[in-house]
Amino acid sequence: MIPLAYNLRNLTVRKTTTAAAAFGLGLVVFIVASVMMLSNGVRAATKRSTDPNVAIVLRKGSNAEMESGIDEQSVGLIAATPGVAHASDGRPDAVGELVVVVLLDKVGGGFSNVQLRGVPDNAMAFRPSMKIVEGRAAQPGTDEAIVGKAIRGRFKGLDLGESFEMRKNRPIKIVGVFEDNGSSYESEIWGDTNVIRATFGRQSIVSSVRVRLESPDKFDAFKANVEANRQLNVSAQRETEWAVKQTQGTALFLSALGFVIAFFFSVGAIIGAMITMHATVAQRQREIGTLRALGFSRLQILTSFLIESVILALAGGAVGAAASLLMSLKRISMMNFQTWSELSFKFEPTPQILITALIVAAVMGILGGFFPAIRAARINPVVAMRGG
Amino acid sequence: MSAIVELKGVSKTFYRGKEPVPVLENLDLQVEEGAYEALMGPSGSGKSTLLNLIAGLDKPTSGTAKVAGQDLTNMSDGELAHFRADKIGFIFQAYNLLPVLTAAENVELPLLLTKLSSSDRKTRAKTALRVVGLEDRMGHYPRQLSGGQEQRVAIARAIVNDPTILVCDEPTGDLDRKSADEILALLEKLNKEFKKTILMVTHDPAAAERAGVIRKLDKGQLQ
Ligand SMILES: Nc1ncnc2c1ncn2[C@@H]1O[C@H](COP(=O)(O)OP(=O)(O)O)[C@@H](O)[C@H]1O
Ligand SMILES: [Mg+2]
Repeated sequence: MIPLAYNLRNLTVRKTTTAAAAFGLGLVVFIVASVMMLSNGVRAATKRSTDPNVAIVLRKGSNAEMESGIDEQSVGLIAATPGVAHASDGRPDAVGELVVVVLLDKVGGGFSNVQLRGVPDNAMAFRPSMKIVEGRAAQPGTDEAIVGKAIRGRFKGLDLGESFEMRKNRPIKIVGVFEDNGSSYESEIWGDTNVIRATFGRQSIVSSVRVRLESPDKFDAFKANVEANRQLNVSAQRETEWAVKQTQGTALFLSALGFVIAFFFSVGAIIGAMITMHATVAQRQREIGTLRALGFSRLQILTSFLIESVILALAGGAVGAAASLLMSLKRISMMNFQTWSELSFKFEPTPQILITALIVAAVMGILGGFFPAIRAARINPVVAMRGG
Repeated sequence: MSAIVELKGVSKTFYRGKEPVPVLENLDLQVEEGAYEALMGPSGSGKSTLLNLIAGLDKPTSGTAKVAGQDLTNMSDGELAHFRADKIGFIFQAYNLLPVLTAAENVELPLLLTKLSSSDRKTRAKTALRVVGLEDRMGHYPRQLSGGQEQRVAIARAIVNDPTILVCDEPTGDLDRKSADEILALLEKLNKEFKKTILMVTHDPAAAERAGVIRKLDKGQLQ
């Protein structure tokens, strides 16, 4: 085999063109990795708030909490279903919650929807990962509320000690800030169910009922049980599976958008790689002729130039992937199309994402290097060594 | 002694567009094993072409070529590459060292086509560089060497594989008298001590004098 040092040193000899081509390839890798980290971040944000033991019950036919409505009397019935665990106080481990959306002004202009969750007094106990990080918990039955870390201070009135209007003349006071491992709850406001009900005219209604099961394998029986009751008119899902559906569309949209952009950039990057590789093949005709004279085969020449192109792409790709890791320091906020409300999340890197991004780089290297490598392999050594 | 090169009725015609350019016509040649032969002739007379046919770098249009016991006439491209790696050492007028590789790495190149281990390859490359007197320049890049030194590295590369025939196309063409004489002395040593068969194209009568046989190529024929 022609030594790798030959390829590496040739790449460093023509620094400028190598850097230019690598930059294009790196840019694509940066985009691809960022997009994957982004849709992973969206997915992770929703999934993080879930518990494999928890089942969520919604009105039959609804998939989002916001569009679901269940009679408050049914909450007790659902919670009493066999298989539901009991909390330390002896009550069934279940929460019925009301979810509405309020339109709020963003700090710095514009406005967006924010999810407002009316919660019972055991809502935080039901979610052990959740904790108040500033201020205090809201007093049940009052117009106090707590806000998630991700949107705190990003909307007018959503900071500790401030108030916002749920409706005209219905102010709600923020008394605490909570966090939950970066889950989608961190993009919500939590207040008292009855106060919210009264404001939005949804008396005696909850959006969802979550129950903690004794174990995940109790789910099938639980589901069969609640769904068999026609009166309830509800359906049950594992919270983990339901959560994935909540952001599936948004994650898919981000991926599709990102990959379309990446595709167009990659065409440019591949052409860039092709141009540099063509140029270097033309410049190194005599060397290629010499290698052929020494007994290296066409296949070995082809392989060597393909490898050189792949090294070029991987070098650019490594830089692009490293740069994409810096993106994970940034928090992004956008509309989740499933819930029509603001979802805040981070670029979440995984080893697989970085490996995939480098594979994308290698593939671009192969595509860009293919024709130049073929051309190198077809060089006639006699002709190559006569000229120049 | 037996013939190590045997060309019979060899013709070579190039095409410039559609127009045929006959270069060699019905040429016969026998070279004995261990010979040191010089090939002279005017520019464009086909000296390089003839050398390339013998070295298996090009194929005759018609006729047969047997070199180092092998019939090159019907060999595939890959078989010819094998043959060159195995039997031929090339020395070019322009040295043709790879600029990004050190002297030692350039010399090691032909060994990458063998099954030798990395350490064996390094040892042999070093030995070859010692033969040409450049053991102390192993880590130098071609641009850090003089023309004469570059050509000596090229000679080390040509002999490292212990080829049967050394094919030299104007090896002193780019060198001053003193460097040229060193190269010629080296070739003579390779012929006498290492028993290499040497075919050398040259314009330099002093160089040709050193060879045992001088052949002249003109109008597609050997005189
Ligand atoms: N690959 C080729 N294609 C077309 N013409 C060639 C080719 N190689 C050599 N020739 C022609 O063949 C003739 C002999 O060339 P060459 O063998 O290089 O001569 P010399 O080495 O004696 O100077 C020249 O006229 C040259 O132009
Ligand atoms: Mg010539």
